[in-house]
Amino acid sequence: MCVGIPAKVVSVAHGTAIVDASGARREVSAELLAALDPGDYVMVHAGLAIAKITSDDEAESAALLADTASDGGQR
Amino acid sequence: MSAAAQARRARDAAREIVTSYRGPRLRIMEVCGTHTHEIFRLGLRALLPPGIELISGPGCPVCVTPVSFIDEACYLARECGVTLCTFGDLLRVPGTAGSLADARSQGARVEIVYTPLDAVAYAAAHPAEEVVFLSVGFETTTPASALAIKKAAAQTLTNFSLLAANKTMDAAYLAMRDSCDAYLYPGHVCAITGARVPRALTSRGISGVVAGFTASELLTALAVILRRSSAAPFFVNCYPRVVTEEGSPAARQLLETYFTPVDAEWRGLGVLPQSGLVPAPAYAEFDARRRYTIPPQEGRTNPACRCGDILRGACTPADCPLYGKTCTPEHPVGACMVSREGTCAAWYQYRGTSAASSGKEDLHG
Repeated sequence: MCVGIPAKVVSVAHGTAIVDASGARREVSAELLAALDPGDYVMVHAGLAIAKITSDDEAESAALLADTASDGGQR
Repeated sequence: MSAAAQARRARDAAREIVTSYRGPRLRIMEVCGTHTHEIFRLGLRALLPPGIELISGPGCPVCVTPVSFIDEACYLARECGVTLCTFGDLLRVPGTAGSLADARSQGARVEIVYTPLDAVAYAAAHPAEEVVFLSVGFETTTPASALAIKKAAAQTLTNFSLLAANKTMDAAYLAMRDSCDAYLYPGHVCAITGARVPRALTSRGISGVVAGFTASELLTALAVILRRSSAAPFFVNCYPRVVTEEGSPAARQLLETYFTPVDAEWRGLGVLPQSGLVPAPAYAEFDARRRYTIPPQEGRTNPACRCGDILRGACTPADCPLYGKTCTPEHPVGACMVSREGTCAAWYQYRGTSAASSGKEDLHG
């Protein structure tokens, strides 16, 4: 139950969104996220989109390790 | 260099930092069931050098829910005739007199839902039934329960309520602080609370990093801990693509409006002050404990079960006399064997029953 599922927003209307998670489509609540657009990626928990996903994991890791090497990673 | 090549280089660098670590002994605790599962699935433990111990803490909401909650739910289904709506993970958690699955096989109405919002829809579609949603979960899941109350109130439903055992993680971070040297903080809990909550713990001497869930993210998070561990209390947000400093004010507003904090029992940890959430007084009609008279439940566990010790990181599943013998995913005795995110279930799925007593030697072999 406590598993976050990344999904791509297909459409948004009236506080709900249709999302696509690896081919599976489902309606989820979009009440927590303002300004959600089709094409955005979100993290879905128990039928609720809880956060936008802003980049991919490998770009994130590269930036973190560069920071850690240069300034000890205080961010 | 292309972005893909840069990413590969970063992942290799993180792996090198982890595998070549020869510093002081470090105990790192993950407090998220999905971290536990992914660390096993990805085989990350096999990369760890001697001296790095990964401890699976109280990060699975099903696992930390006490037996008395299952007993309350069974009482509602058997004695009050309500329809229970529940996440599937709770179905087979043993109660004192059987599980919800047992109750269902004896005629109780138990429906499995993916989200609390489905329970509201079920109640709206079945006005002749009294519907109780079994509300468990941490900061990630509780906003959906708050939305369920909001929608039920908006629809003026009179046949819907929650039996709540929701919990907040910050009390657990403090309760477990002496069990580890650094936390892998749960990425999605922090997406709600914001990185500011674990960051503030550095002032109390508690270190850790927020971690994501992919191989690259988990390796990077471990590498950052190892790089930073010689410094005094540290915090790094290693999951910034999802976790912001402020988290989700909208989710926290939902929690403050529809829930109120109470002292709560955690399996293995006892009662942690103000670590639980129940429906707020203004929404008391949606609180199953106010709506029905539920007598105090005994909450008796199998005395040989060591789920409590496992949730505190005091022992591993292999140290439990029931693990892999009378307690298996097909016939779980303790909660940690039930949920896919439970420590015992992850051990069983990825290590089988061949592990030696503590299992530490083959973690590093």
